[in-house]
Amino acid sequence: MFHAAKTMMELEPVIFHVDMDAFYAAIEVLDNPSYAGTCLLIGGNSSRGVVATASYEARKYGIHSAMPMVQALRLCPHAVVVKPRMARYSQVSSQVMDILRQFSSDLQQISIDEAFLDMTGTRRLFGIPRQAGKILKERVKKETGLTISVGIGASRFIAKMASDYDKPDGLCRVSQGKEIAFIDAVGLQKLWGVGKVTQSLLAKHHIQTTKELRSYTMDSLQSLFGKSMGQFLYLACRGIDPGIFSGEAKSHSISTETTFEHDVTSLSILEQTLLSMSHEVMFRALEEKQIGRTVGIKVRLPDFTTYTLQATPQGTIYSAEQIYHLAKQLLLQKWHDGTPIRLIGVGLYQLYEGSRPLQEELFEDPYQKKRKIEQVVLALQKQGKQVFKAKNLETPTPSEK
Amino acid sequence: MKFVCNKDDILNEILYSMDFTSQRNSLSITSNVYLETSGGRLIIRATDQKLGFSTEIAVETLQAGKTTVFCEKLLNILRSLPDTKIDFSLEDGMLTIKPEEQNIDFKLRTIGADEFPSLENSESSSYFTIPQKSFTDMANQTMFAISEDETRYFLCGLYLERNASGMNMVATDGRRLSIVERTFEEDLPMFPSIIIPPKFFTELKKLSTDEGMLDLAITENILFAKIGNRTFYTTLIKGQYPNYRRVIPETQTYTCTMRIQDMLDALKRVSLLVENKAKRIFLDISESGVLLTSDESEVGEAKEIIACQYEGPDTKVSLNYTYLVNPLKVMEGEYFSISFTEPTRAMTVKPDSNKDYFHIIMPMQPNA
Repeated sequence: MFHAAKTMMELEPVIFHVDMDAFYAAIEVLDNPSYAGTCLLIGGNSSRGVVATASYEARKYGIHSAMPMVQALRLCPHAVVVKPRMARYSQVSSQVMDILRQFSSDLQQISIDEAFLDMTGTRRLFGIPRQAGKILKERVKKETGLTISVGIGASRFIAKMASDYDKPDGLCRVSQGKEIAFIDAVGLQKLWGVGKVTQSLLAKHHIQTTKELRSYTMDSLQSLFGKSMGQFLYLACRGIDPGIFSGEAKSHSISTETTFEHDVTSLSILEQTLLSMSHEVMFRALEEKQIGRTVGIKVRLPDFTTYTLQATPQGTIYSAEQIYHLAKQLLLQKWHDGTPIRLIGVGLYQLYEGSRPLQEELFEDPYQKKRKIEQVVLALQKQGKQVFKAKNLETPTPSEK
Repeated sequence: MKFVCNKDDILNEILYSMDFTSQRNSLSITSNVYLETSGGRLIIRATDQKLGFSTEIAVETLQAGKTTVFCEKLLNILRSLPDTKIDFSLEDGMLTIKPEEQNIDFKLRTIGADEFPSLENSESSSYFTIPQKSFTDMANQTMFAISEDETRYFLCGLYLERNASGMNMVATDGRRLSIVERTFEEDLPMFPSIIIPPKFFTELKKLSTDEGMLDLAITENILFAKIGNRTFYTTLIKGQYPNYRRVIPETQTYTCTMRIQDMLDALKRVSLLVENKAKRIFLDISESGVLLTSDESEVGEAKEIIACQYEGPDTKVSLNYTYLVNPLKVMEGEYFSISFTEPTRAMTVKPDSNKDYFHIIMPMQPNA
């Protein structure tokens, strides 16, 4: 009896969500300490540029990611704008991921600065979850100089909100059975997946708190908010993982996604986001020596309807631009001007070892040349040199198809 | 329409016709074969709108006329019949097929001959004549290098161009290239450079009578060929063939000569352990021999050394082994050579005997 109970205890699911604090900004500060304490904005500074990351100082001015740069500079005119160095970020990212992998082999990387780590059954190795989280944070700090926030819960959903609850440099554990109390503490405004639009919808029905939300049945929520959203709300307010992060293949894919703080309807912002995500994915693939056969996108609408679309071109996917072009074509299949989007993601699928020998071409293949350039950029940036491909940072012109 | 002929005579031609019909849809007119008889002749035609075939045989015409029937069924019926004379007659839109002195009676639904698309035609004066063998051999030495990537459709055919004293045939998939530069004793007219779909050569080989002559006529869009009574044509692949001359190295610094059979045998063995997607093997070329190795894999590794004649520094190249197997299998003579300047640049593969063809192979990245 006792033995069985103990085994059960050990198998209680323990999920870590690791979120690197203001990741791009933190790396810029690391590489250039004079930026410390300044309002730092990472992003393109052309007229159509958007903010990729804002330092915590800049966030105090109400600046958030995916905000047009022009607007951000209006809010904080003295902010320092730095162009993103994707290759450097992905290098640091893979360094952090390598550390995470030493804690558990079951790693699910969500984006360049976010990952889930299944720590179930690791108590004997690293101690109780909170202690393991502490060791993990110390290791990352010591080896990379960066701070991370760790959320611990019995599901990905809870872990994700827990990391956000105590940020930056946070460590928050929600033990099993305390989920509902935690959800109430987080509050409806900060409940993951509940944005401004959903909030105003909820307000219309006089739902102001998670507690009030729990008084509705699944059926009534679904009739009020639609099938996906209704189900999401029903589960979320009970602290049950609505399965937002499941279904993602653990291996053989490199993907990233961005949830917009405000639903986006502008093609130019979507294009910019796709472009920078395409670079992120490409550089991560280069870093991991992987080549993708398939490009996929994920689009989530405000009502939580989620589409995934994939395309497999004939040849090899060699460059970020190629990923971007394919991703944009896929987006335009589903997206019509003005449709609001809450989340967009780009991924490389069906990966194979990039170290597999590359066949040289007799005639020049334009994309292969670009991959070589990107490899050179990556190598130079690793040596600490500041190199940019000008085109990466420019907004694609509307005529470019 | 009514005629009588030997089973074997017509079966043979219907068999050839079959390849030129479109076989997707039995209701389409292009799945049918065209039959027209008058004055002791039977004209047979087939086309899938890209390729076309026309032939004639001697028959006993009882009543002139023309029609079309579903080619595949006609072929299967003819195959099933005993060896004898067969009566064909058209009545009320049905073609009756009846072997003489037998209780066998087939009726096939027909489609009017007027609906059959007209075949492309070329003036008989525009034909020029060359030996069949020489032309099919040019294709044999190059065909394997054709691209299968339909996004580069213009590489999915054989490039044929006029040279000063004959014709060049070129095939490339962008990674290797094979070329024949052949001199012809016959008079050749000037013609535009063309890209020929590989199916033309499949049919040419079937229709070839080996030692005989071949009449060719080339227009901007169509290549016509004539062997005896049989005429066939293909529409050409449109597109800009790349400037292949640019990728052929003018000189190479080092040359390594080996026996063709030694290399083929060694490749056959070492390739057993070569990873199936990249198909990479390594050649360590040194004065004491050529060492062939596979990549080390979970399965294991393979090594073999073959004798060679070579003067130069020890050099390691890696390449897709099929790029060597394909040309060596059809190469004449006993010896061949691999010439190179740097292990990362294009290599030239040539028969040692004085032949008019050679191959360019791009290596793989050595240590990626």
